[in-house]
This record gives sequence, C-alpha cells and structure tokens, in this order.
Amino acid sequence: MSVMTTPPPVDAARAPAAAVPRTRARGWRGVLSHWPQYVAIAPFYVLFLVFGLFPIVFSIVLSFTDWDGMGEIRFAGLSQYIYLVQDSRFWNAVANTFIIWFLSTVPMLFLALVIAFLLHQNIRFRGFYRVAFFLPNVTSMVAMAIVFGSVFSDSFGLVNSALTALHVDSVPWLSSSLGIKVTIAVMVIWRFTGYNAIIYLAGLQSIPTDLYDAAKTDGASTWQIFTRVTIPMLRPIILFTVITSTVGGLSLFTEPQVLLGDAGGNGEAGMTIVLYQYNQAFTQFDFGYGSAIAWALFVLASVFAIINWRLLSERRDAPRRTGRKARS
Amino acid sequence: MHPPTRRHVLRGLGLAGLAAGGLAACGSSPTISDDPDELVMWYWNRSASPKLLEQAAKNVPGTDRHVRADVIGTTFDTKLRTSLAGGAYIPDITYINSNNALYFRNEHQFLDMSDLGAAQHADDYYEWKWKLGITPEERFCFFPLDIGPTGFYYRQDVFEKAGLPTEPDEVSSAVSTWKEWIALGAELRKATGSALVNTAQSIYEQFLNASPERYLDAEDTPLYTAEGSAVREAWDTAIAAIDAHITAGIPDARGTDQNAAWSSGKTAGHVNASWWSQIIQESAPDSAGLWRLADQPVRPGNSGGSFAAIPHTCKDPEAAFAFIRWINTPDHQAEAYNDVQLFPSAPASYESGTMKYAGDFFGDQDPLAFFSHAAEQVPESFISTWESVVSGSFTLEITNVETAGKDPDRAWADAIAAAEKALRKRGVQR
Repeated sequence: MSVMTTPPPVDAARAPAAAVPRTRARGWRGVLSHWPQYVAIAPFYVLFLVFGLFPIVFSIVLSFTDWDGMGEIRFAGLSQYIYLVQDSRFWNAVANTFIIWFLSTVPMLFLALVIAFLLHQNIRFRGFYRVAFFLPNVTSMVAMAIVFGSVFSDSFGLVNSALTALHVDSVPWLSSSLGIKVTIAVMVIWRFTGYNAIIYLAGLQSIPTDLYDAAKTDGASTWQIFTRVTIPMLRPIILFTVITSTVGGLSLFTEPQVLLGDAGGNGEAGMTIVLYQYNQAFTQFDFGYGSAIAWALFVLASVFAIINWRLLSERRDAPRRTGRKARS
Repeated sequence: MHPPTRRHVLRGLGLAGLAAGGLAACGSSPTISDDPDELVMWYWNRSASPKLLEQAAKNVPGTDRHVRADVIGTTFDTKLRTSLAGGAYIPDITYINSNNALYFRNEHQFLDMSDLGAAQHADDYYEWKWKLGITPEERFCFFPLDIGPTGFYYRQDVFEKAGLPTEPDEVSSAVSTWKEWIALGAELRKATGSALVNTAQSIYEQFLNASPERYLDAEDTPLYTAEGSAVREAWDTAIAAIDAHITAGIPDARGTDQNAAWSSGKTAGHVNASWWSQIIQESAPDSAGLWRLADQPVRPGNSGGSFAAIPHTCKDPEAAFAFIRWINTPDHQAEAYNDVQLFPSAPASYESGTMKYAGDFFGDQDPLAFFSHAAEQVPESFISTWESVVSGSFTLEITNVETAGKDPDRAWADAIAAAEKALRKRGVQR
C-alpha cells in the first residue's frame, strides 16, 4: 500500500564530497520521510489504542484487583483467579457453554454443508434461496429470542402444543436443564446455518470443475465425489467455519440473556461464560472478577482454536503414509 | 489516485486538529452542562412525571435555576457509576432505584441532605421509607420518591370456582398467616388444578420484603445462620409452599409463560407491589376486572420504589435539594401517580383526594385505599450493601428445589456455603 517514492537524485554539485550516497532511510528517518502516509493511517491506530488496546490492557490489570467500578481500586494479587478455579458457578457456566456449543455447532455445520451442496446444483430461484437462508443472520436476535421464548414456552408454546396434538409428552424446553440448552442451541443453529452455508457455497464454487469431470470419468459415485473431492477441497473453508463457530459459541451471550434473563434460567442451566461475566461485572459490580472471567475465556478459546486447527489443517510436512513401517 | 500533495495532507491535518480540538473542548471541563443556571438530572423512563419535569425545565420554584432531565436507558447504574468513577459528566441530581444500598460503599459520592435541611420534611414521608435512605454512617443521601407496598393479588373468578372465599375481606382473614395461605393454595390446587403463585422465589422474597430483619446487619454481620433468622423463616415458608405443590414453577425470566398462566387462570394469584397491577394488566388484559387484592399474610412489605440523590459535584446543592423537595411534595407525588402511576411515599398524597385510579382491573375494589393502608404497616428494616452478593445464592437454591427436586436441606447448606464464599471473596469481615 505504501507509496514508494524514490528519493530525488542528489545534486552532485551541491552535495558535500564526503556524502554517503543515500540509501533508503531506515528507522525514524524513514518514518519521518513518509509522514504523510503515516498521518493518513493514524486515525485507525489512534482509535484502536483508545477504544481497543487500552480496555484490553486495563482489563488485565483489573483482573488482579478488587474494584466495584466507583471506589478505590485495591490490588488483590491472584485472588480473583484462585477464586475462579474453585468457583462451581464458573465451571457450571463453562460446562453449559461447551454443551451448547457442541449441540449447536455440529448440526449447524453439517446442515450448512448440505444446504450449500444443494444450492450448488443447478436449481431454479437460486438467488432467492441464498437470500432466504442468509436472512436469519441479519434479524434482531433480541426480537427472535422473544419469539423463541413463545415457541418453546412450556405450557403454552407452539412446539409443545404440536407435541400434545401428536399425543407425545410435552417437553419442558425452558425449565429443564437439557431443554434450556437445546432451545439455545436451536436458536444458534437457526441464526448461523445460512451464514455458514453461504461461506461453504463460495468454497464450492472455487473448486475447479475438471476435478469433478475427472472423477466422473473414473466412474466415481456422487457420494465418492462428495467425500473424496468436495470435502478435501473444502477443508480450509471448513476449518475457518469451525474456528469462527468456536469463538462465537464460546462467547455466546445474547440468546441466553434474552431468553432467560441475567440469571441464566432454572438452576443456571443456561448460564454461559459471558453471561456469568456480565452478571458479575454489571449486576454485582465486581469488575475484578468479571475481568478474570474474561481472561479465562480468552485462554479457553485460544486452546480450543489451536486444537481445532491441529485437527483440521493439512499437515503439509506429514509424509504420505504407505502402510506402517516397523521402526528399526 | 495520485499521491497526496503536501497541501492535501495539511488540509487533512487541519481537519483532524479541529476534530481533536472539539473533543478536547468537551474534555477540558468535565461538567455535564455549560449553562450556569442549568441543573442536570438523570432518571429512567416512567420514574418521574413528565408534566412536572416540564415545569422544572423552565424554573425550579424558589430558585433561579432550571432542570434539564435526561432519560438514561437500561444500563442506568453502569452509566452513573462510570461518570462517578471518571469524575466527569456527573449529573447534579440523580434518581436511584431500590438498589440504593449498592451505593453505601461509596456513600461519599453523594451529599448528605441533612446539611440542606432535609430533616424538616421527614414527617411528610413514611418513616420506613425515609430510613431506607440513611446510610450506615447515618448520612441521609437518598430522598424518598415512590414506594411499592405489597399485597396478595388473586383471581376472584378462579377462587369462586374452587369454592374458596371470594371477597377481599374474607380472603384477607382466611390467610392471616403463611400457613393458612399455603393451606388455601392447596385447596385451590385440589379443586381447580390452578397454582396460587408462579414461583416459590416470589414467596421467599415477599416474606423478606415484609420482614424487619433481612440478610446482614449494619456491621456487615450475616444474620441468616442464626436459629430462627428471617431468611430461614422465609426459606421454610417457600419450601412448605413447594411441598404443598401450590407454585407453578415458572421463573420470572419466562415472562411469556407467566403471563399466559395469569391470563388463563392456571396461576390464580401473585404476591407483590402496587406497580404489578399494570404489568398484569398489560400482559394479561383479558383478566382485567377479575383480580382482587387481599392482605398479604402477617403484614405487607415493600417491593421496589426509588430515591433521589445529589452527587458531590453538584453545582448548586441548595437548588438541587429545592427541586427534589418540590417534585416530591405530597401534592406533586399525587400528580405523579396520576401521570405515571408512581405510588407516593407521602401519606398526605392519598389523603389529598386528588389521586385518581382509572380502570376496573380490580372490579369495584379501590386499589389506592388498599395500598395506602398497606404502606402504613410496612416494617422498618435495614438493607445491607452486601445483600445482593448473597441473596442470589438463596433464590437460586429455592428454584433448584422447586424445579429440579433438589433436597431442601442440601440446598440450604449449599446456599449458605455459596453466600459465605461470596462474602469472603468481596472482603467482607467475618
């Protein structure tokens, strides 16, 4: 992006004899000689420093203190983290978050892949379907949570009315521990399936057709083409969606908060990590602990992303396996 | 795109400088208003009468100041704390909700209104409400606005079907103790299948709201571990209600289900404050006219209600106090009731006869007379600044017993352990 202006040739007549021919200036002199460009990109960096980096650093500092958001900030050492490790409510929130993440991500990505595969075929109204599948992603989650709350309502909801009509026992969607998690997972699936399908569709369209032609020539079935050509070629895309879904799933907040309130529902069955953090920081005004929870979440999400990466990325350095060799 | 010339960049820099200068101009004076005669007040929707605020916007009677009232959205406390912590853009007057005890830890952020002559008005207000505005250091920082006297809402039509007493006086005398109240609920359940209330948590909370003793005393000593403490009694009452199967087990977070239960009569009652009538009316409009009010067992309590406070940075404390007193005279509190249904904390408001209840939600029963009578019997109590740290442990476990069938003894032990842990964590002396 930088505009590389070559320095004007030094006028030999005016140059001192001992002058070293100027190479590209380094360090501060380089910065100074390109100041217009630096000024041009400065606004982003200034805003990022003030509204991005400073709060992040400050939250690290806060996690080692005890502060109620108004009074003096008291240094508390590692006590917030020590409490966190022993806090059963926190671990319950971690477990909830992972269960909801699993219940939502696996079906969501599978559905998205199927939808993308279908949309990739030559069907009519393709544009309409693409828009239709993407729409849930741009609707207001708060409004949708209210709708879902009505749909899954225990005694008066649509779902349970339908189950009752079919002479099946109604399910306590919003009061049993598993019901709450399934309801939240369904909301996440509803919202993000289309989004991921569009991403997969873009990936599908980038696969060269001659691969498919070659496979067909070799007499591969549709299933074989899907598993041996499509999936391997989509691997980087799948990796991307898994990591974004992981980060999104671990920072789940809006759905449970609107569906169940700040307390996370019966027995805190819908209390996610971020909801717990919000609860501690903004309803209990315990900002030190809220920050500690935030950083614990950061560590969890990082570890998880690395695991996903390792599992799914292609190991370019791995030798082609041609059967096991006994170690000598 | 040709590379930028020096002139372009200079022009850009000039604009950036102007913008930064503009920001700095705001930042250099951390006051919220540059008008020397303007007092800024923060409140939330429906916590003050718009008509009275309109008058105050022109002039606060008896002063040469006027009030600019800013409505703050849902994160009221967060915003107020942020401005107090940053020492900038602090309002001259702020309303504070019923969680005013949270501010006791930082009470010196607010002026003591005793120094402004608050004491001469004390007799105008319910004594228990006035005392809720006094901090542990005996400073009067929170002036009474509205209150939430409680009562027992019940569906007369459902009671009639169940063959229970139906008239408010009859019901009141039939449920003078919680034991009788639970027995009545059991009869109702047997006869109609309806629950008496939606949650056991609401019973627990309203029991405590009507109790002189709560969680902790003014020295931050927990009271709930003692034999026969108020918290334990409230707990036992809620557990007895669960055992008698008179609660529906629909927690507050599921408003849709609660409203549907009240609408259909599947839940035929509710124990809470005066301001609940509107919530039920809006959410279960079909049930209007079918509800009546009976006395809460033992005695009424207070649920909700707010206060006014003057932050220490106020530019003119005398005028701010004059405004707070002016907007809370008994006559003006009566007006605020007519305007936005804020129940007055001044008994004389009701006696003035200007308060009007419009509507037939309670049939021919007069809710104003009912709640005014209830307000006189609310006991004095002390709310500790640490209460919110421990109360959640108990309500969480009550819900566990109610909806997950947890063993009550284990639930109690867990609640006590969690409360102790939370107090230790916040550095409260044990």
